[in-house]
Amino acid sequence: MTVNVKQRVDKPKTGKGKRALEKREPKLIENTKQCLFLHGQKTSETVRQCVKDIHALKTPNGQLLTRKSPYLPFEDILPVERLLQKHDSSLFAVATHSKKRPDNLILGRMFDRHILDMVELGITNFKSLKDFKNAKVSSGTKPCMVFCGSDFEDVTEFQKLKNYLIDFFRGVEATDVRLQGFEHALLFTVIQGNVLIRSYRILLKKSGTKVPRVELEEIGPSMTLVLRRTRFASDDLMKRACKQPKQLKTKKVKNKSKDVFGTKFGRVHMTKQDISKLQTRKVKALRKTPIKKNTTKSVPNSGEPMETSQE
Amino acid sequence: MNDFAITDCWVRKNIPQCNMEEDTAARIQEILDKTTEEIKSVAVNKEVELAIDVGNLLVSDENALDEKLIRDPVTSDEYLRGLARDGVQALLTKIWELPSHQIDNSVYVKLPKPTTRLPREKPLPKGPILTKWEQYAREKGITRRKKEKKLWDETLKRWVPRYGYRKAQADKEKTWVLEVPGNVNPYEDQFEKRSKLKKEKVAKNEYQRLRNIARQNKIEVPKVGVTGSNFATPRELGQAMHHAKHATASKGKFQAEIPGEKKARGMGKKRKVEFTTGDGEQEKKRCLDILNKLDKPGLNLDLAINKQIKDENVDESLKRIGGKKYGRRSKMGGRHRTRSDYKGDKQGKGFNKILKGKKGKGKTRQAAAAGSQKKKAGKFDSTFKKSMGAGSVGANKNRGGKKGSKG
Repeated sequence: MTVNVKQRVDKPKTGKGKRALEKREPKLIENTKQCLFLHGQKTSETVRQCVKDIHALKTPNGQLLTRKSPYLPFEDILPVERLLQKHDSSLFAVATHSKKRPDNLILGRMFDRHILDMVELGITNFKSLKDFKNAKVSSGTKPCMVFCGSDFEDVTEFQKLKNYLIDFFRGVEATDVRLQGFEHALLFTVIQGNVLIRSYRILLKKSGTKVPRVELEEIGPSMTLVLRRTRFASDDLMKRACKQPKQLKTKKVKNKSKDVFGTKFGRVHMTKQDISKLQTRKVKALRKTPIKKNTTKSVPNSGEPMETSQE
Repeated sequence: MNDFAITDCWVRKNIPQCNMEEDTAARIQEILDKTTEEIKSVAVNKEVELAIDVGNLLVSDENALDEKLIRDPVTSDEYLRGLARDGVQALLTKIWELPSHQIDNSVYVKLPKPTTRLPREKPLPKGPILTKWEQYAREKGITRRKKEKKLWDETLKRWVPRYGYRKAQADKEKTWVLEVPGNVNPYEDQFEKRSKLKKEKVAKNEYQRLRNIARQNKIEVPKVGVTGSNFATPRELGQAMHHAKHATASKGKFQAEIPGEKKARGMGKKRKVEFTTGDGEQEKKRCLDILNKLDKPGLNLDLAINKQIKDENVDESLKRIGGKKYGRRSKMGGRHRTRSDYKGDKQGKGFNKILKGKKGKGKTRQAAAAGSQKKKAGKFDSTFKKSMGAGSVGANKNRGGKKGSKG
């Protein structure tokens, strides 16, 4: 990967520093988005536990900073932006609690070190990971996400929230996955403006076929979220953020196919064949007859008078 | 599916046949329960088909939800779990269909690329942007020459790196003494001079690097005034103010003076005051330099040769045509006649007519110039009059008057 360190104004002084900076440079294939979990000036037990639980689900791609700080992202995003830049993270969750907005969870993401979009969610009916006394999933597993409810497709706000939740929970962009490794499932259901979140452990049971029968066991956390304030990215910015690198775009495979037996076929396009020059079998009958020779000669014969005139 | 049905029937058939104790019956019941649990269907039936993005392990279910069941706290958990189960089952069924391979006794599948478009964390990486030199080299076709990393040092009798680690050390070892050149001040510290030169080189390089960055990012770098450094000296600020003030259409002529404003220093050339005592040699050289500058005709060989050739040509042609080569111009203002003029005379084809016509049409150049001068003088007069508040008195007269009054 070519990283253009030349463009930096302040030059790194040590090799180690240089490498650390190179790590933060934009890359063609990006690393997994890191998340910061923050506490505002005032927090409630519920929202604190909620942030802690989500952090537990996000490990190792999250960091929980529990010091009280007056973060109010909707009023002033700059301190959060600065902190995220420092930690090279692009997702954040801030826990706050006030009389006006009790049990408040602010979720947001960044693009190019600046805020892209954020949503404010009120937490109700919260049940922690601890409240479910059972075995949990191992940390760092990629969850299966299920989104239920037509509002996730029809209502713009929930569409964008869905996009955010996918980005937040999807974890590592995996290519090879172990079939027995599917452990965790998240359910997001939208109903009448509320988003219900449930988290399950996947149990793979025998079904008699190759595909196992899926059973689920709730492990927590579970909660109901109410959408409060939002600040979504403009279409223009979103378009810019979603730009795909040319190198990663897949090229359409043309003129290649496979049949049922796995034999590979290629279609070759050719120019029109010149049949007149085709070498065929020499048969006496097809040879040019002397009469034919005469006829072919007769054409230049017509030019004879011209020759004479030239003389 | 049919297989399960068969096994189901087989179990049911067998139960009534065996007449055992209640204990065993219970056990059988247990086994039966287990088997029925195991053979639950894998199929997922939904009204609207689930949209699955396998790359993100994502399932979107657009089916209508049963509000009543969700509202009721008793049934809601079960209902939601059913929803999740169906989604996950559909997803895993799709994943299990993917081509698999084995690594270390466990089965892996290759996930396809995610279809849901998500924003990036950072913008796309920019390709290497050429510096000014690199661009120039590319245009000129200059390729990089490989230089040896180490050079043989004659004085140290060993290989010394061209740059980097141990280069400075070797330099220090080598230059423990420095020669004072004959033409410089003998009391000048040569070591200091050397280090200063080096520092300047480094600074220049850094400046060029920054300028390249500015160019690459399309930042306009101001050439005068305060150029964005943290500290600006009063002198720099003064200069910046001067430039700002003079950046009007009338070059700052009508800009109001700020109370207590000082004129910017260092804008013009500063006169160098020479020492009157001391170095006689220097003074002599200075004077001679001035003399040299004053009158130095010098011979332009090309010009001289061209002139000679031209003269010869003119002579020859005159000989052929017959005529006079003009001699010295009369002090009374004789007109310079060219070769073509003579031609006209000889041929007598109304050349003089044309000349006459020209004469009659307008003023000569000199006359025109004089007229314009007059005009200018008139203008000046009027403005001057205005400012002086005098009525019909001419400029010259006025000046004379002033002198007179003073006397």
